[in-house]
Amino acid sequence: MEQTSRNFLGNAHTALGDEARAERRDLLALFQPIMRQSAVDDFAAHEATRAHVKKVRQHTLDNLAYYLARYEEQATHNGNHVHFARDAAQMNSIVLDICQRHDAQRIAKGKSMVTEETGLNEHLARAGLDVRETDLGEYIVQQAGETPSHIVGPALHKSADEIRELFLEKHDLGERDLLETSDMVAEARQVLREHFLTADVGIIGANALIAENGYSMLVTNEGNGDLCANLPSVLIVCATIDRILPRAEDATAMLRLLVRSATGQPQTCYTSFYSGPRRAPDPDGPLETHIVLLDNERSDILDSGYREILACIRCGACLTHCPIYAGVGGHAYGSVYSGPMGSVLTPLLTSLEESAALPNACTSCGRCAEICPADIPLPDLLRDLRSEEREQRLSPLRWRFGLKMHAWLAAQPALYRLLTGLGIRALHRLARGRGRFRRLPLAGGWSSQRDFPAPQQKTFMQLYRERDRHDG
Amino acid sequence: MSERSAAQGKASGRPLVALFATCLVDLFRPSVGFASLTLLQRAGCEVVVPPEQTCCGQPAYNNGDRAAIIALAKQTIAMLEPADYVVIPSGSCAGMLSEHYPRLFDGEWHDRALAVASKTFELTSFLRDIAPLPTPEKLHPPSGKVAYHDSCAGLREMQVREQPRALLKSTCGVEVVELQQRDVCCGFGGTFCAKMPEISAKMADDKLKDAASTGATILTGGDLGCLMSLAGRAQRTGQNLEMRHVAELLVGDQDTPPVGGAD
Amino acid sequence: MTDRDARTDIFARLQHSASGLSNNDILREQWALGSAPAPALPGSDLHEAFLTNVLKNQGTVDCAAGRVGTVKAIAAHLYANYRKHRLVASNDQRLAALPWRDGGLLPRFGSVEANEQVALSYARLGVAELGAVVTFTGKANPAANNLLPEQHVVLVDAADVVAASEQAWERIAALTEAEERPRGINFIAGPSSTADIEGQLVYGAHGPKAWHVILVGDLPDSILQQARANAGVQT
Ligand code: SF4
Repeated sequence: MEQTSRNFLGNAHTALGDEARAERRDLLALFQPIMRQSAVDDFAAHEATRAHVKKVRQHTLDNLAYYLARYEEQATHNGNHVHFARDAAQMNSIVLDICQRHDAQRIAKGKSMVTEETGLNEHLARAGLDVRETDLGEYIVQQAGETPSHIVGPALHKSADEIRELFLEKHDLGERDLLETSDMVAEARQVLREHFLTADVGIIGANALIAENGYSMLVTNEGNGDLCANLPSVLIVCATIDRILPRAEDATAMLRLLVRSATGQPQTCYTSFYSGPRRAPDPDGPLETHIVLLDNERSDILDSGYREILACIRCGACLTHCPIYAGVGGHAYGSVYSGPMGSVLTPLLTSLEESAALPNACTSCGRCAEICPADIPLPDLLRDLRSEEREQRLSPLRWRFGLKMHAWLAAQPALYRLLTGLGIRALHRLARGRGRFRRLPLAGGWSSQRDFPAPQQKTFMQLYRERDRHDG
Repeated sequence: MSERSAAQGKASGRPLVALFATCLVDLFRPSVGFASLTLLQRAGCEVVVPPEQTCCGQPAYNNGDRAAIIALAKQTIAMLEPADYVVIPSGSCAGMLSEHYPRLFDGEWHDRALAVASKTFELTSFLRDIAPLPTPEKLHPPSGKVAYHDSCAGLREMQVREQPRALLKSTCGVEVVELQQRDVCCGFGGTFCAKMPEISAKMADDKLKDAASTGATILTGGDLGCLMSLAGRAQRTGQNLEMRHVAELLVGDQDTPPVGGAD
Repeated sequence: MTDRDARTDIFARLQHSASGLSNNDILREQWALGSAPAPALPGSDLHEAFLTNVLKNQGTVDCAAGRVGTVKAIAAHLYANYRKHRLVASNDQRLAALPWRDGGLLPRFGSVEANEQVALSYARLGVAELGAVVTFTGKANPAANNLLPEQHVVLVDAADVVAASEQAWERIAALTEAEERPRGINFIAGPSSTADIEGQLVYGAHGPKAWHVILVGDLPDSILQQARANAGVQT
């Protein structure tokens, strides 16, 4: 996708103006946290599991070269072709190559954020392939020519009416009007079933890659990923190198956190582990399987102060709990990943210059870090990115200078006292007893949306000193 | 803080509390400073107001300028070291001292920052958990239904949740009415509200709507920043909701006009 | 850059940030990580917990004792829902050995075809914590039978029910030592579902619309009732 993070404020303005969508976002922001909380409350071991999985992930990242090599060895032993790609372009060309070698025309795709990240669909489509997303949400946004607005619920920004319109326009429905949601689901099921049965290649992502046995874990509720993994004769799994976990039990321990935080369910419907191509006596399954392991900046992130973001399990909870995400929606971020995790990841995957607005879209309220099942200190990472932004002089001079001056002044108590004392008296007089200002010089950002409460007559320190002197 | 005042506190046998008023209270709402002072004295503390205090440095820190606040943080730490406790009428400034100062340093200053952090409290949690505020003979209930706005840093960095509610009940007889989304940010976020005013205003509107739907006429809270931002937005959009700091309600100060109210 | 160059490059970068531990030390550290804390199960009985969680996952459940009882339970379910006696059964030896005629059923053994509504699998395991059954892809259970029918009926032996994922992996490791590693290990915990349209839950997104689990073994009569009560499901 074309990144428009530079225009975050403009995108946000547009999003805030769309009342119907804003209302739907408010509703989701109200209910999703309640659902997650009740799932977590039902799981007594949540905190202990969170701590355990964090330790496991830390250990894995500390020794990623070892575990990646072990995974490669096991996956190869299981009969897979294992490929490595440094960047998006390389992964895309590896995948296209495989498809072309098999004269593939039709591709069935499971939900995969990694392929969103590399823009794989467009790459394959440019070569004339018919790539169909099969997760219902992804299918809807693909049909609409949009991108996912949320990493778990890609189409939740659309109303049922909009989706009905879309299907009426894109599908040959005859007399059917798809009144109920279940009618729409049935319609997509039918169209996509046909595609599954005739697809040449299946492409899926992985929620985890298991080093000890070379299996990859795939988690879905719809079962679409499993259809992609089982019906076409060629299967390609695309995953980034940070998805590695040492043991199978680590993947299922992580799953306990993922499911509850992602959808509020205790367990997803289909959790599948795939090892490779069809065995000799098997009645079905792909004849050839490929694993493409993508770096795309992960090795650099691992070596940086931001390595904790690699522990992200893509549950999407930080998005649904972020009041800024709730306000403006995923598309305003203008990037593949949105919300807090996206605001950390996007500058690291693209450039801070292009995405400088995103780390600033944060009040440091800490709600994301509180609920993040991977216990990632998202507000701290965002603050560090702002720090880099400042160092690289990407933030407006007015801000950098003003805040530095303020901090410097605050470290000179006597001068601070003198200047603030004078300033406050002046401000108080300026307010002329109305208690507030509608407009205030140098506070344009504030006063565009709010009045500014006027100060009381003198500063606390002045008054305290006067009183102290009086009493003393 | 001078040696003299430290010695004074120790001699009296009462806990010596340094009141860090915060820059917003200092500049915009001294009444909160005086209310805090009174409450701490009622709770039996020897209170000093270190004259060197200015600002904890959050604005620069949250904008990623760690270097700029090193000197400021050192000065603040040194100033507060002699006290038994540091009490701050703000969850976010208390959070800055206890959660973030230690991260700024290694070595000796890290230890000193940690020592100050461990004795730093947000006002209402101090009055509830450490030095209990005695129940007054006469209650000063505010006129009107009261809702409480939890600040994010108070909630998540200082574990302030039930304390102000309990105090409001025991000192003013107030049963706080609860917002539906009490753990959601009001959109202030320090400089955030000036950098992204439109998004910030949307968040403030949500909070104000939530407060209004409780039927409250007073919205109180422990952080002046949030209250100023909400008061400013309420005034701009013509909403009638009085914002008052919880310390003011607890001392029964009904004379000071609400935040942003006319003199 | 070729695949191989990319591999060299990636490993070189990872070495740079690596802990520098020897392989033995890495394994020692891994061992010290131990297992995740055991999740609590609803109720005190393993089988009751399993059935409870299957119900919570929107499955339907039944219990059966003995081979005749099992066939009758399958027949009763099929008849109640479809007024039918036909189904597709996977090529599992345990299924082949059932006395089908006692239930009046007419199974076809193999992979499900487009016009067939019900498929029957015999699970390798049941996992109480997850309310899931585990199947291995292969001759004894084609992947298609899990995914393509309208309705998936799964038998699981009471002796094959384990408490949590950790025990499931121990059993799977033991099973796959004897056999070859299966291509696919499928944990199934519910009918296929989606909430992608306005968050409304709809069953039968791509896979089965209904999922029925029959627990086979000598179990107390009250167990079904107890599980339904735990899960808050009406009978
Ligand atoms: S950062 Fe945490 S909360 Fe956000 S998606 Fe990743 S794991 Fe989930």
